[in-house]
Amino acid sequence: MSATTGASQDAASAFLDLLDDYRLAPNVFDSMLTSEGTVRSEWLGVLARLRQIGAADRRTLNDSAQRILRENGVTFVAQDDTESTHRPWQLDLLPLVIGPGDWQALETGLVQRARLLNELLADLYGEQRCLAENVLPSSLVFGNPRFLPACMRLPAKQQLGLHLIAFDVARAPDGRWWVLGDRTEMPSGAGYALENRVVTSRCLPELFAESNVRRHAHFFRAYNQHVLSLTDKDEPLAVFLTRGPGKLTYFDHAYLARYLGHEIVEGSDLTVRDECVYLKTIEGLRQVDLIFRAVRSELTDPLELRADSMLGVPGLLQSARAGNVTIGNQLGSGVVESPGFLSFLPALCRQLLDEELAIPSVATWWCGQPSERRYVLEHLDNLLVRRISTTHSVLAGGHDGRVNKYSTEVAPGQLGDLIERAGYDFVGQEPLTLSTTPVWTDLGLAPEPCVLRVYVAATASGYQVLPGGLTRIAHDSDPNSAWLAASDVSKDTWVLSDTPVEPLTLFARQHGEARLRRSHRNLPSRAADNLFWLGRYAERAEAAVRLFRSLVIRLAGELGSNRYPVSHERVVSLLVIHKHISPRRAKRAREEGRLAVERELWTLLFDSDSRDGLANVLGNVKRTAEIVRERLSFDAYQTLMVLTDVPDRRQRESTSETDEALRLLNRLVQNLAAFSGIAMENMTRGYGWRFLDLGRRIERMRAMQHLVHNLTAHGDPENDGSLELLLELADSRMTYRGRYHSSPELGRVLDLVLADQSNPRSIAFQLAAISDHLATLPSTEDDGLLRQDQRITTEMLSKLQVADVFEIAAKKNRFDSRILIDRLCRDIKKSANDLSDGISEQFFSHSAPQRVSGYEFLA
Amino acid sequence: MRYAVTHKTTLAYEQPVSISQHVLRLEPRDTLRQTMLGFDLDVDPMPSQQGNRTDFFGNHVHHLTIQTPHDTLTVESRSSIDVIPRESEIAISESPAWDQVADSLLEQTMTPLGAAYFAFPSPYVSWRSVVQEYALPSFAPGRPVLEAVMDLTSRIFADFEYKGGVSDVWTPVHDVVEMRQGVCQDFAHLEIACLRSLGIPARYVSGYLLTHPPPGQEKLVGSDASHAWLAAWAGDLGWVDFDPTNNLMPDFEHVTVGWGRDYGDLSPMNGFITGGGTHTVSVGVDVASVG
Repeated sequence: MSATTGASQDAASAFLDLLDDYRLAPNVFDSMLTSEGTVRSEWLGVLARLRQIGAADRRTLNDSAQRILRENGVTFVAQDDTESTHRPWQLDLLPLVIGPGDWQALETGLVQRARLLNELLADLYGEQRCLAENVLPSSLVFGNPRFLPACMRLPAKQQLGLHLIAFDVARAPDGRWWVLGDRTEMPSGAGYALENRVVTSRCLPELFAESNVRRHAHFFRAYNQHVLSLTDKDEPLAVFLTRGPGKLTYFDHAYLARYLGHEIVEGSDLTVRDECVYLKTIEGLRQVDLIFRAVRSELTDPLELRADSMLGVPGLLQSARAGNVTIGNQLGSGVVESPGFLSFLPALCRQLLDEELAIPSVATWWCGQPSERRYVLEHLDNLLVRRISTTHSVLAGGHDGRVNKYSTEVAPGQLGDLIERAGYDFVGQEPLTLSTTPVWTDLGLAPEPCVLRVYVAATASGYQVLPGGLTRIAHDSDPNSAWLAASDVSKDTWVLSDTPVEPLTLFARQHGEARLRRSHRNLPSRAADNLFWLGRYAERAEAAVRLFRSLVIRLAGELGSNRYPVSHERVVSLLVIHKHISPRRAKRAREEGRLAVERELWTLLFDSDSRDGLANVLGNVKRTAEIVRERLSFDAYQTLMVLTDVPDRRQRESTSETDEALRLLNRLVQNLAAFSGIAMENMTRGYGWRFLDLGRRIERMRAMQHLVHNLTAHGDPENDGSLELLLELADSRMTYRGRYHSSPELGRVLDLVLADQSNPRSIAFQLAAISDHLATLPSTEDDGLLRQDQRITTEMLSKLQVADVFEIAAKKNRFDSRILIDRLCRDIKKSANDLSDGISEQFFSHSAPQRVSGYEFLA
Repeated sequence: MRYAVTHKTTLAYEQPVSISQHVLRLEPRDTLRQTMLGFDLDVDPMPSQQGNRTDFFGNHVHHLTIQTPHDTLTVESRSSIDVIPRESEIAISESPAWDQVADSLLEQTMTPLGAAYFAFPSPYVSWRSVVQEYALPSFAPGRPVLEAVMDLTSRIFADFEYKGGVSDVWTPVHDVVEMRQGVCQDFAHLEIACLRSLGIPARYVSGYLLTHPPPGQEKLVGSDASHAWLAAWAGDLGWVDFDPTNNLMPDFEHVTVGWGRDYGDLSPMNGFITGGGTHTVSVGVDVASVG
């Protein structure tokens, strides 16, 4: 830190340029300036750096932050989004800076609050003394649908039901901390907090290094080690149970799972046998000892909880009851995050901990009590009213109407009635004026309202607080909602230390630590399935890109197309064969001539809405890559993210379009080659790699068969340029030239692309590789016989060896030769399909069990 | 009265089932007027794991896993129960006023925890205003709670047609109100919703009913069925049973298996299977009076 000494008044004047337009709202705490306008000491270093960064540099930094986020594939689904919306993550590089003293007060208070909620949870699902002794009204608990009677008396190792808790905190005008809400069901956002740190420290490395910022890594390691130790196993198997890719908070939980080095699974990846939970892997079932739960409790076990849940594992609850699996947070933990408890926490704290509650909660009136209900009903216009049993909880927006737009569920006139009838389900809350923190814009710094989500985790030395957290700039969204709104912007949170911080970067730690844990025991069936499809999609993309490139070149009239002119009809028919355009569109384009064909091609390349165009092909790669992200190296993943970043250029520009298209396609070929290279050279030969490669080989087999079929079984391939095109698309032109020094002949070409096992593009090569993979994969049957899929490869290989391609080509009668080629191609296609089906059936079975009920009808 | 109850469920699968897990609520519990003399459970094929426990509401729960491939599963329970008839009629007109019972919960003075479990919406029992509107004519201010509930029971019996196949366990209570049709658990759910909407705790009771053959005919074995009714909280008088399907207050011809917030807490047999294709269920219940 540069200028931490000196009178703050001087410091403030030194920053006048930056702070010119920084206008504090009256009676609001600001993280950077005191109410007198002086800069708080923890901000001096940051401001000194900011002064050196001009507006232009700021934009550059911002751009690189956006680029890193995009390359890392950081997206989010907002609270009110339909799922599978992917919004780019919004990050303001300027962190929220908190000094050591301020943090200390928060830390102590939150540790106490974590202990309190843990005790409360244990009591509600255990003795229920708080209810029996009338510290809590029973309707506060039993009127809450998140209280799950089936979860009573679940065993919790070390009485620890809450492994990780998040608290949304804000600051009062005098700087005191307030808790807005507790998150105990599935605390989320920690993954984004980690990512924010990675990006911010990378974009502002000097500032980060000199600021003595407390690191995240120790906290997560202590948390991880402790919850793993709860299993009492030497090598416990831990999984993150999620709702699946694309769902709200999936990205966040998957990020944390990767960071901690655990499998990301969905309900159907797990199965219960004899009261133990197992992960379905390609080697069979592996017992699961610890579940990080990112699925709401009531959806985790359709046998005993919500019967209509498709996300759960039948029998999970009984396994937990039998003590055979540890689940964090404990099933049913959502009940204690109800805002109805807020006004009871001071009394509960005295009752359960014999302590005074250190950090107050936002003023809350629970309408289950007559006088509180009356107060809320009389102040409906000035309070935020929340319904406890629903997620979209805000029913009245408070006096400034800040969150009024959420109050769509109940007509204003009916609210009073509802509260009157079911008061236990409602609270009124004082709308808090949020404290502000600077946001960095092109115009300088501006104060914006912020909320901080802080994480507390169980460790060997009791609850610990993550030094930092997820800062949200909440303009007009509900500051106390469980998840982020679309308009929210996030920030890293820097907690400064007054002792030197050990210079350990999170970034290095993250990858180093994760890699150590990534062994390939326990490859889940679903992951194998996804890797297989990543292989297939990547190969499919490569074939498509090569095809597009050859066609662009030919249409542009370059590269020897005079010698082997390929008519645009042939171009179009290839597009149809590879399902890039429909036969009807093809017919129209053919009739309209060359320009129409070019137009079709342009649409395929640049229109992201085109159904089977480039965007779609690459989209499949991207989606699959995101799902198996934790099994790809950082470089492999980055390569794929760059690969799939293609501009949408629907509007054709007149000049240099061919050049532009070619440049793009060349880049894509190179990106794809880079990915294959990384996969070949940098992935260990575990089962994961084998499935990736199996997918690639099977897809290549299919694509090659398509090409051979289409380019040699019709027309006059030796004279109409088809063989030349085939060699080009098969990336075998150089080999052919080198070998034969002559123009392509059918027999030689067929030998090279079908039967030559030394050509990595030939069918025979694919079959040999597939056969090698299959021999290595685990077998469920130990009878020593060849499996069905192994038989297919062996048979097909020998068919290729027996088939004399030269003889086929030399047939006097061209018709006979076509029939033979056609038959061979059909055989190849069938084997590829059978192989794909066989592999799916044997290794990827993660079908969900179905419900049966002994219920007919009752009398 | 002594009863022998047999409850046999057969699940027949189109294709073999490799693994199945089940949760059973078939073993009757002891109550103030009911004593269990014996309970047997036969499962075929033999479970690889079997256990039992008492749930949150005090009901007996059996759970089992079968790992032998099978295409038919048979679960047969046999219970022997003594039921003591009531000593005298309940004086329903002397029960406390219903609004007093409801207020005691709403106002959060000390309420017995047991009653509070059953005062709120539950997964199968939630309601809209039509439900409360349907209930209100029976609940004039100050009316004794049991009298009001009996009146409501009779109105449901009169207004609704007993008809199988029009509803299932998921049918929402407000749809039942509109259809005016349903089976016993629809009527139980409806009446529970009516009572809870007014602030009166009500619980779902699952069990069996002794049925009588038409005059002059022999009773057919296996022709009985599971039955469901409800109990209303009457303040100091505790829980009192009502059967809207038969318009009566159950006495010694009802055998209680257990109670909970709704059907979901008492589903007699619930399970998940791997494999199996489609399946058919057949249930045979026989309630025999044995002395």
